[in-house]
Amino acid sequence: MSRSSEAAAMKRKRPNMDSSSQGLVDADRIVLDVVKSKKNLGIWVAEVKKEAKLAPTVVDKSLASLVKKKLIKQVVNIQSKGRKHYMAVEFEPSEELTGGAWYSDGNLDKEFITSLRDLCLKVVEVLKVATAEGIHDFLKKRQAAKCTNQQVAEILNSMVLDNAVIEVKSTGLGEYHCIPVGSVCYRTASGAASGAALGTGPKTIGPMASIPCGACPRISLCTPNGIISPQTCVYYTKWLNFEF
Amino acid sequence: MFSPHGIKLAVYLISSYFGDLNAKVCECLLRRGTQPLAQVVRFTELSRENVRNCLLVLIHHNCVQAFAVQQEGGFGEAPKVITNYMALFDNIIHKLRFPKFIEIVSEELGKECEEIFEGLLQHGRLSLSQIIDRYKQTSNQGDSSADAARDSFNRLVNTKFVERCPAPEPFLEPLTEEEAAAAKKRGAKSAKIQAQTMEQRALTAAAPMDSLRFLVETDTWNDSVEETDKKTTDVTCGTKRKQDNLESNTELLSTDEKKVLWRANFEEFICRLRHKACVANVKVRINNDAAIVLAATLELSRHSETKLRIDNSVPQSINAIYDEVIKREGGLGMDLERIRASLVELGCEVPLMAIDETYSVDLKNIIEQARIEEVESIVLKRYGREAYRMFRLLSKADRLLETDKISDTTFVEKKDAVKILFKLWKDDFLEMKKVITRGTRQSEFLLWKINKQSLWEHVLDEMYHAALNLRLRITHEQEQEKEILQMPRDKLVGELGDRYKRLRKVRITLESSLMNLDDALMLFHDF
Repeated sequence: MSRSSEAAAMKRKRPNMDSSSQGLVDADRIVLDVVKSKKNLGIWVAEVKKEAKLAPTVVDKSLASLVKKKLIKQVVNIQSKGRKHYMAVEFEPSEELTGGAWYSDGNLDKEFITSLRDLCLKVVEVLKVATAEGIHDFLKKRQAAKCTNQQVAEILNSMVLDNAVIEVKSTGLGEYHCIPVGSVCYRTASGAASGAALGTGPKTIGPMASIPCGACPRISLCTPNGIISPQTCVYYTKWLNFEF
Repeated sequence: MFSPHGIKLAVYLISSYFGDLNAKVCECLLRRGTQPLAQVVRFTELSRENVRNCLLVLIHHNCVQAFAVQQEGGFGEAPKVITNYMALFDNIIHKLRFPKFIEIVSEELGKECEEIFEGLLQHGRLSLSQIIDRYKQTSNQGDSSADAARDSFNRLVNTKFVERCPAPEPFLEPLTEEEAAAAKKRGAKSAKIQAQTMEQRALTAAAPMDSLRFLVETDTWNDSVEETDKKTTDVTCGTKRKQDNLESNTELLSTDEKKVLWRANFEEFICRLRHKACVANVKVRINNDAAIVLAATLELSRHSETKLRIDNSVPQSINAIYDEVIKREGGLGMDLERIRASLVELGCEVPLMAIDETYSVDLKNIIEQARIEEVESIVLKRYGREAYRMFRLLSKADRLLETDKISDTTFVEKKDAVKILFKLWKDDFLEMKKVITRGTRQSEFLLWKINKQSLWEHVLDEMYHAALNLRLRITHEQEQEKEILQMPRDKLVGELGDRYKRLRKVRITLESSLMNLDDALMLFHDF
C-alpha cells in the first residue's frame, strides 16, 4: 500500500475509529488497534500479547471487554482450530482462514458439496457432454444452486477422480458440435453399465480386490500356520460362510 | 531376484505336484540362484542321488534348465566346464494356468488336439512316438488313430502351441576379453545386469533355432532327413560332452536323444492371453466397438510379431483391419468411419495423408491402464472412497503433490487427508518427501507421489501371497471335510449332504477366484 492511500485510509477511518474507541481504556485501545491492523486475516491471541507489549492478563481482559462491546469477534482458523483468533467486526474472514468456499464455520461443508455433486452429475446426464462453463450456466439459468464457475470446475475435477464422469477433449464433431475443438469437457462414464450398481468408482472390481486378501489390512502379517493365516482367517470364514 | 511370495507360491506348487524333495531342491535354486549340483547337495543336505533325481524330474517338467559354463581353473590348472542349474520361475507359475491353456487349445483346435496337449502338460516332455502311443491307448481305434494323432499334433505345432524342447545343456562361451573389458568399464551397476544375463544367455542358447523350433519332419520314416537331424544334435551334444571333464553331470540329461522331444510353448499362450486381456480391458473401459477393432488388429498383427511382449501392435492398413473387423461377431455393421473413430479412441492418430493409412495400437499403454485400475480397486476396497480419490489424483498427476493441495482437490478434511496419506505410505502405496522451508517462519511440507514401478512390484508380491493363501485354504477346506470326501456318495444325505454341498461351493468360489487372480498375476508379471 502506498503512503498516500494509507493516509487516505487513515483519514477516512479516523472519525469512525474515534467514535468506536471513545470511552476505551488505553489498554483496550492498543489491543483494538493491533487486531484491526491485521484486517481480514485475524490475529492469534499469543500474537496480540506479543505485539501489544502488555501483560498477558491485561490483554485477555481487554479482548474480553472488546468482544462484549462488539468491536471485535472471535473467528475460526482452518489451519489451527484450537487457537483463538480475533478480528475486528467490520471484516469478513479471508479465504486462508475459512479454507475457501467449501468451508463453513471451519468445517468442510459436506452437505453443500454432495448436493452440488449430485446436481452436476444430473446436468451432465442431461447434456450428455458439457464443459464446466456450460454446466455452470445451466445451473445459473435455472437458479438451481448458488456457486461460482470455479466451484463447478473443482467439483467436476473431483468427480473425475471418483470416476463418476470422465474428462474428454472435444473433437468438434457429432455430439461435440457446439463445443470448440480441443476444449476440455465432461461426460458420464460410458460403458459403466456394469458399474452402475456401484454408482461411482471403478468400472470393474479387480480380481485381487474381490477376495478377502485384496482388502486385508493385515496381509503383511499373514503367514501359513502363523497367528494370522489363511487357514484361520476370519475374513475367509465370513466370505465362505454359505447358508443353506 | 524373484518376489519373496512368488518363491513361496512356486515352492508350494512344486511340492503339491512333485512332492517335498523336489520342492526343496527347487527352493534352493530359486532362493540361492543358479548353481551346480554340488552346491545344491550341500545346501539342501539331501543325498546326491536324491538331488539328481529331483533335478531330472524338474528338468523334465520344464521347471529347471541346465547349462554349462567354463570356469577358470586354479593356479596352473586348465579351465573347467561346470554344469549349472537354474530354476525357471515363470514355467513353475504357469502350472496355475494350465486349465486356461487347455481351454485355448480346445476352443481353437477341438477335442483331439486338446487330449494330446493335455498329455504334454501332464508329462512335461514327450516324443512324437510317445504321443501317438498315448493317443492310441485312449482312443481304441486301431491303426487309423495314429494318423489322426499325427494330424492333430501337426496342427498343434503349426499354431505354435507346441514346440521342440530346448537343448538339454547349452554351453556358454566365456566372454571374450573385449566384452569383459567393456563390462568392467560400465562399472558395478552393469555388472549386475551382466550376471542376470547369464541366465538369459543360457535360455537363448538352449532355445532351438526358429526354423527348427516348429519343424515336424513331414515323413518320420524318411531316414535321410532324420539322419541329418540326428547328426547335428549328436555333434553338438558330443562336443559338449568332451568338454565336460568335471563329472558326468550330463548323464542326468541323457534322455533318449534319438527322439525329438516336444513340449507346450508357453510363450504363445501368454501372448494370446495378453491380447485377450487387452481386448477385455478396452471393452470395459472404452466400448464394444473399440474392443472389436482391437481384436481384429491384434489378430492381424499376431502373425508378424517378432517379440514376446510387443509394445505396439504391428502397423496394419485400414483396409486389412476393415476386412478382419467385418468377419467378427458384431463387426459386420461397422464402416470405415466407425473403425477410424474406434482407432482414435484406442489412442491411434489418424495420419494426415490418406496414402498408406496404417495404424498401430499402443498395447503397453492399455496394459498400464489395466494395472492402474487393478491397484485402484484394491485401494478403494482397503482404504475407502476418499483414499481412492486421492490415489487417483496422485496417479493422474504422476508427480509430487503437497498435502494441502491433495486435500483441497479431493474434498477431504485436512486432518483426515493426512491420516489416509500416512496409512497409504505405511503400506508402501505412496512415497513421501519432507520439505522444510527456513524463512521467517519455519514450516514443513509433506509431498506425496506414486512410484509405479516399485508399487507394481509390491502389488504383485501381495498377489502371489493371496494366490498362495487361496491354494492353502482350498487344501485346508478339503482336509476339514476329509471324512465326507471318503464316504460313498449315496450316504451323503441330510446334514452330511449339506456339508458336501457347502464344500463344493467353497471349492468353486476359491478356485474361480484363484483363476481370476491369476489373470491379475499375468497382468503384472508376464504382460
